[in-house]
Amino acid sequence: MFFTQLNNELLKLFARKRTHIGFGAFVAAEFIILLLLQLQRSKKTFTDLLTRNGYGFDYYSGITLAVLMILFTIFLLGGLYLALVSGDMVAKEVEDGTMRMVLARPISRIRLLGIKWLACMIYTFALILFIGGTSLLAGVLYRGGLGKLFIFAPHEQLFAIFDSPAEGVWRFARAIFVLSLCIQVVSTLGLMFSCFNMKPATATILTLSVMFVDFVLRNMPYFEGIQRWFITYHTACWVRTFHPIVPWWGILESLFCLFGLNVTFFVIGAMSFCARDFKA
Amino acid sequence: MIALKGVSKRFGDRVAVHPLDLEIPRGCIFGLLGHNGAGKSTTIGMLLGQVYPDEGRVLINGRDVFAERQRALARVGAIFEAPAFYDYLNGETNLRILCEYSAPVNSRRLAEVVALVGLRSRIRDRVGVYSHGMRQRLALAQALLPDPELLILDEPGDGLDPEGIHEMRNLILKLNREWGLTILLSSHLLAEVQQLCSRLVVMREGRVLFSGEWRQLEDERRWIRVKADRQSEAETGLRGDGLIAEFETDGRGRLAPGITLDGVARWLVKRDFKVEAVAPVERTLEDFYLKTVRTNPEGRVHD
Repeated sequence: MFFTQLNNELLKLFARKRTHIGFGAFVAAEFIILLLLQLQRSKKTFTDLLTRNGYGFDYYSGITLAVLMILFTIFLLGGLYLALVSGDMVAKEVEDGTMRMVLARPISRIRLLGIKWLACMIYTFALILFIGGTSLLAGVLYRGGLGKLFIFAPHEQLFAIFDSPAEGVWRFARAIFVLSLCIQVVSTLGLMFSCFNMKPATATILTLSVMFVDFVLRNMPYFEGIQRWFITYHTACWVRTFHPIVPWWGILESLFCLFGLNVTFFVIGAMSFCARDFKA
Repeated sequence: MIALKGVSKRFGDRVAVHPLDLEIPRGCIFGLLGHNGAGKSTTIGMLLGQVYPDEGRVLINGRDVFAERQRALARVGAIFEAPAFYDYLNGETNLRILCEYSAPVNSRRLAEVVALVGLRSRIRDRVGVYSHGMRQRLALAQALLPDPELLILDEPGDGLDPEGIHEMRNLILKLNREWGLTILLSSHLLAEVQQLCSRLVVMREGRVLFSGEWRQLEDERRWIRVKADRQSEAETGLRGDGLIAEFETDGRGRLAPGITLDGVARWLVKRDFKVEAVAPVERTLEDFYLKTVRTNPEGRVHD
């Protein structure tokens, strides 16, 4: 029954128009970013950066564009869209009245929430894979191949180049996988707020607010010494998989921290969900 | 079948349900009446484990709804006022999703229930395009699908046209008589409740004003209608001489214990009243309900 219920939860999630509009929005965002990267000014900045470091413009390749598109789309839309979907998971059902229909069934609340959480995780994973896949496809189609990978992320003190397309793709796939694990925390946070007695929009706004405030504080020089206390420090660990020598222990540490946060958010959400009265 | 033992619920400062004791026997259609905010929905919420009582126990088939939720609700179906569905999915998918929260759905049983509620031709349509009546039928189908023993119906006739109300009533009777379901019916449509329920509870502001067999009580009470010239003088005299226990409007009065219709007629004739009518009156549930809620600010009338 568990898998049937999980399947039904995914069906509910993926059958909604909003889901497909969201996927479409990511594709649109990728193309806009791709177009922006073609502006002379963008190209010049990029070329200057490469030539200053002794490299040629051939690093402006399909896979490099894919990584850039992911960096921007995740920053611009990733949090927003995941917060939208996860903020709806419980609160929207309560608002629509379907939660009362569901809770008239002999299913325990914790099991129901567990299924919703798992569906949310699978959805997040699918979304990140989709963004990764479409970015790579768009980059490859635009530049006519994979090419050499160049990545520059000053915040992570990262400047890396990979001449072999095979290694570039491997690094890219690995980064996408780690990103899909990191970003789950946004979904769980949204789900947690969704469990409280509030409107879906409020849950979404609160999730975004937490992530935004965390990001802003983390980037303030005053807090530089306590970077590891911020969620966004850990969610950015996927970028570190592009380091020439991957700091696996640091990445694992971040993943463990995020796992702990996921569990904490879920437990807080579950406590609220299990203690609430559901009434018309 | 259902036992509420000292159950109460408070929302902030407001008491939604005062300590409530109630037993609903197996096999009956039991009415739950009361104005908006009387505590009916909260009571139903507590029965389904959706609202936690502050104190007391809720038992279905002897099992505590909160301690043994899965077992207690295993064979319970419920529909609510304005039933909600996943509008972007079709009727059949909605039924499957809702019912698979409790047990796997048997396709033959699904087809049988869909046919019973008269949705066979539209079950593959998106629920978003369903009329209110069709949504009510779909709600009934999802309640019937897990083969329930107990059906909890919260305003099932709400928003239905007269034909729909008639069909719903017949269906409820069929489910009770032929399928043997125990039904708890909460409704504002008193004429419907009158035709369906002999036992009921009347609530007001979270208190039970009446619980039991209303028809039997009314029959015991024996209401008559007296119409004569000098009507008010006749009413005062009949009441003063202890023949009529109380008068309502339009000459309707309740016979005092041991007094017969003939006795009232004789009394009137003996005192030279020109009698137009002295006849027994069939009391409706509406009469009973209004009298109960108007004359009992608090407390239980009958058990």
